[in-house]
Amino acid sequence: MTAKQPDGPTAAKRSRMDLVKAGATRDGVEIIHYRKRYVVPATKLERRAERKVAFWLFVAFIGGAGYLLTTIFWPWEFKGDTGLNYLFTPLLGIFMTLGLGGLGIAVIGYGKWLLPDEESVQQRHGGPSDEFEREATAATLLEMASATELPRRKLIKRTLGLSILGLVALALAPLGGLIKKPGRALYTTPWKAGSRLVREDGTPIKPADLKPGGFETVYPDVPHAVLASDAPTLLLRLRPDAAVNVRKGREDYHYGDYYAYSKVCTHAGCPVGLFEQQTNRLLCPCHQSQFEVLDGCRPVFGPASRSLPQLSIDVDEEGYFIARGDYTEPVGPAFWERG
Amino acid sequence: MTQRPEPRPGGRFRRFSGLIVIGLALTTVGGLYSLASPSRDAAQATSAPEDVAEGKKLYDKSCISCHGRNLQGVSDRGPSLIGAGGAAVDFQVGTGRMPAARQEAQIGRKKPVFDDKQTRQLAAYVQAVGGGPDIPTAIPSDGDLAQGGRLFRGNCASCHNFAGKGGALSSGKYAPSLDKATPTQIYEAMLTGPQNMPVFGDNQISPQEKADIITYIDSLNSEKDPGGFGLGRLGPVPEGLAGWIIGIGALMIATLWIGVRS
Repeated sequence: MTAKQPDGPTAAKRSRMDLVKAGATRDGVEIIHYRKRYVVPATKLERRAERKVAFWLFVAFIGGAGYLLTTIFWPWEFKGDTGLNYLFTPLLGIFMTLGLGGLGIAVIGYGKWLLPDEESVQQRHGGPSDEFEREATAATLLEMASATELPRRKLIKRTLGLSILGLVALALAPLGGLIKKPGRALYTTPWKAGSRLVREDGTPIKPADLKPGGFETVYPDVPHAVLASDAPTLLLRLRPDAAVNVRKGREDYHYGDYYAYSKVCTHAGCPVGLFEQQTNRLLCPCHQSQFEVLDGCRPVFGPASRSLPQLSIDVDEEGYFIARGDYTEPVGPAFWERG
Repeated sequence: MTQRPEPRPGGRFRRFSGLIVIGLALTTVGGLYSLASPSRDAAQATSAPEDVAEGKKLYDKSCISCHGRNLQGVSDRGPSLIGAGGAAVDFQVGTGRMPAARQEAQIGRKKPVFDDKQTRQLAAYVQAVGGGPDIPTAIPSDGDLAQGGRLFRGNCASCHNFAGKGGALSSGKYAPSLDKATPTQIYEAMLTGPQNMPVFGDNQISPQEKADIITYIDSLNSEKDPGGFGLGRLGPVPEGLAGWIIGIGALMIATLWIGVRS
């Protein structure tokens, strides 16, 4: 380093500390206070600080080594409830904590206990670049633009516009997939007149199967009904003393004590699977809507605003429950076109 | 000794602040990790005529004011026990729910008032007078764990939570945690539908399927948490809470500590 520095004599002629200070001054940093922690080397106090750092570095080593040994030797496979495998993950966590934590404490400790005590202040920079730099940049950009001579080249100008048009169309095309008329899909479900009410495993249900105060989730006996989001239906058997307020026009929807309601919440479509058999309420676990079963599953609490649709049920010649038709109103949450 | 740097104000606090941080963290974690160990009991024995007589004596003393002289119930106090059966009595009395301490949204599990023998006598009396499902005697012990899990998720998990930890119902009612329930009690609960629990009769869930469910609940209760702390196995909410309060809290305390020490 023999080159002349603008800040004074050549670097080689100065001590390293002077150079550090000069560099800091150039960056607007002022060292206010600088003091070595241990003026006399290898005192008792310094050795103690060193041992502290070394201790945490060793802890970090134990952590890493323990992690590796745990990975290799600890029985991690599930062997019933007797094995030690349940400690595998916690041990990895403990050793990782020791490893990373030990290293972190060692680094911070080194800074606190051994590095010189220093305090520096740096001035903030001003706002924009200086006037000349800004003008020059603007001129460069404008010069580049005018060098293209685009206004003169009509053919390129037009094809460029065309290409931008094509790219915009390309970007908008996927939105087209969203434009689709759902038709009647939201108004109908897989339930049909004569569909048997079956359990998840496909077995039909007869009136003797449920006890008063019991309920079962049922599906129509069509293929893949279990996967249809609008098919799940609750078959409830109310207790004989339940005072049901049957709605007008639905006098024949139920079969004895058996009532069938859609299991899909009219608020956000969650399964209304919590049945309180004494208070005759159905609860939706997602947003705590509650439906009064005795009053046509009218919502009595929570965000749901419509009653759960009722499925009209009967029993066929073989004595199994069947649906007398599809739901008479859309199942599940409201949608745009729904009146 | 002479080299010791000049003491700084608050030095004593700083020396112990590490201990305080660790102490705080341990107390919080330990408080959250309070899991009770489940208990088991044996299957019930059959009843004898003298049990019925003894049971009547107990009934006339402890139950009659709410459930009536002939089990017919007293309005606004207690329901009729006709058709409740010995299974319901064994469940309600054996889990300490009955005799109830007071009328409230839900009568919870507590220390039983009657011992096993008295419970059996009461059950024998109610069974003899009112009829209904009796105490199950032979619950199959060879339940199918996988099938039980499927049935549990389909029928029980919506109220009792996927790990059997229970959950809230309407107006202060709740589905209780299953970690203290014995196999017999689980069986009786399904059979009789205590309080607001639906009834799962034998035609809906067969005795073998009930045994499958019991096997599954048993395995849930006896399983250790392979990831460390289960935090009540309530899922992402307490886990997130623990992450924020314990994790971020510890980081904040550590940050403050580092700042104070500088």
